Amino acid sequence: MDEQARIVIIEDDRKLSAALVSGLEGAGYKVKAASSAEEGFFLVHQLQPDLILLDLTLPQRNGLDILQQLREEGVDVRVLILTSHNTIEDRVAGLKTGADDYMGKPFSFPELIARIEALLRRVLPSSPRRLTIGDLELDSSARSAWRDGQKLDLTAREFDLLLYLSKNKGRTVSREMLAKDVWQETSRYTPIDNVIDVQMARLRKKVDDPFRVKLLQTIRGIGFCLQEP
Amino acid sequence: MNVDARWSIRTRLTAWYVSVLAVLLLVFAVIVFVFQYVTLTRQIVHDEMQDAVTVEGLLYFDGHGQLQLRQDYYSRPQSHLLVDRLMEVLDLNGAVLYRSNALEEQTLGGPLVPGEGDGSSNERIVRLRDGSRVLTISHIHGMNGRDLVIRVGYSLRPLRDRLWQFVWLLGIALLVTILLATFTGQWIASKAMSPIGLMADRAEGITANNLHDRLVVANPRDELGALAAVFNHLLERLEQSFQQLQRFTADAAHELRTPLASLRTVGEVALSEPRSAEQYRDAISSILEETQRLNHTVDSLLLLARAEAGNTSATSEDIALAPLTMEVMNMLSVLAEEKEIQLLVQEEAHGLAVYGDRNLLRVAIINVLHNAIKFSPQKGMVRITLASDGAAATVTVVDQGQGLREDEFDSVFERFYKGRGESRNQGNGLGLSIVKLIVERIGGSVRFDRAVETGASVVIRLPIAAGAI
Repeated sequence: MDEQARIVIIEDDRKLSAALVSGLEGAGYKVKAASSAEEGFFLVHQLQPDLILLDLTLPQRNGLDILQQLREEGVDVRVLILTSHNTIEDRVAGLKTGADDYMGKPFSFPELIARIEALLRRVLPSSPRRLTIGDLELDSSARSAWRDGQKLDLTAREFDLLLYLSKNKGRTVSREMLAKDVWQETSRYTPIDNVIDVQMARLRKKVDDPFRVKLLQTIRGIGFCLQEP
Repeated sequence: MNVDARWSIRTRLTAWYVSVLAVLLLVFAVIVFVFQYVTLTRQIVHDEMQDAVTVEGLLYFDGHGQLQLRQDYYSRPQSHLLVDRLMEVLDLNGAVLYRSNALEEQTLGGPLVPGEGDGSSNERIVRLRDGSRVLTISHIHGMNGRDLVIRVGYSLRPLRDRLWQFVWLLGIALLVTILLATFTGQWIASKAMSPIGLMADRAEGITANNLHDRLVVANPRDELGALAAVFNHLLERLEQSFQQLQRFTADAAHELRTPLASLRTVGEVALSEPRSAEQYRDAISSILEETQRLNHTVDSLLLLARAEAGNTSATSEDIALAPLTMEVMNMLSVLAEEKEIQLLVQEEAHGLAVYGDRNLLRVAIINVLHNAIKFSPQKGMVRITLASDGAAATVTVVDQGQGLREDEFDSVFERFYKGRGESRNQGNGLGLSIVKLIVERIGGSVRFDRAVETGASVVIRLPIAAGAI
């Protein structure tokens, strides 16, 4: 990205809003926050942001109303809805009104960053066939991985997991992201975290254990990250 | 019926009752009237016949050949009534030979009718010239070689007066009876309906705050008593589920409080004195882990609420059991492999399908299988059997863990029940209650088999889909 992308947050919970501002600024965005619909409108028209993070339950006005009005005015902006009403019906209503994406509270911050990046990339990057992280090499079409020239013996799931981590090289991925993107689980419940942890431990055994340099890191309380130390 | 709908039941009951009574009384009155009329008329004819016979003996031709009625006719005690009789004697040619004075020269029935008085008495009603109606009979009598037709008639006025009197009497009696019936009917209906008013008042006063109140059952054997009993039963069930809800809310709050307490403590301890970056990092990580636990509990509660809200047909479909089971097994197999547990599937019945929300049923089977793997010993075996007993499909999951204690068979399905030993700290105690709720919403049941001696055996019974695959 040549210039900093501009993001407007419309969220009435000041604490969450402040955390988002600081997190997104840390990720290299230009961020302004509004705590009401009126303020939000003002900021949107003043700043012409690339993306809006929109809370649905605002005082006085429903977030969906704001979205509808913005779409009627023909404002060209990506909209990511943040809400605690996280049922499929709510999702559908949000997307129908013209939202580009939808995240249920509480969300994981790494996932939010990933979604924001995906929304701001107007064209999907063609993922390269070959990926390398240090001495780890992946061939996404042959579905094979090598480390230090040695072919790794991975199951299909382990390969998918490693591929996903490699594509997000250097970024933390949360368990929610893995459940959704690697396991394709739509609902959230306890056992899947267990499964992810065990699967990750097994992957680590094959990818990291025999080697001196450890690439696969657990970020406690957040998720996992594949990177050169 | 539309008109009726505006009235109270009491009024409607009374109206029905009174109208039926009125119709019955009217029919009764008509029958009595007709009977009375026929009897009186026959009495008149009978009297006239007797008069005719009496008259026969009193008729004579005088010296001028004129027909006369013997004078001593008047002196006979039983004949004095005949003075007023209307009488006419004709010969067969129709010539009037005698006419009683009471007729005042009017004819009694006009010219002869063919065959008049021959054999029958020919009773008929004739109208005199002055308009009065007379019931006459005719009788042929041979005298001095001549056949005479004797006509005797009684005016119908006394009969008519009497019948009118009778009708009036009947009418008044009828009116009085119906009025009385209306009032007593209204009174009886009010009396019968009064418990309903009491029940309504009582029911009006029952709110969420006093669900323990009950309606008064005056007489448990009558209809209103039965109604009150049904209402009370309803209230009891409402009260029960209300209490269950209250307990659940309290439990949920309690369950959320525990991770909140640990969050708070970790944060407070971390800030209580200056620490190294590593220590802060540790505290924050711990807090994040705890929020994930909290998050899972909230998700589970929402899942329960969703399952509770019902199995809407919008999200329901036919679900083939075998592929679903395989899918779940596939997902959890890594957990089994880790403990070197063998997962075995036995498909005793093929092509089993049930009807419901696939996502919810999937969660139920995941929870059961996850439990089985969790409680299995290292290198154990978990066996999943798909079978059918005709109406229902059964999914049985057997593990080789410690099994359940006698007192756990029921409580294990309670919300927030966490068992004993080391499993206490794993999970949120909602897994099996979610299973139970989901399975029951689909119309099935879930239980632990008490017969097994080692390990635990969960049996899920599900009704087979109508249009089975």
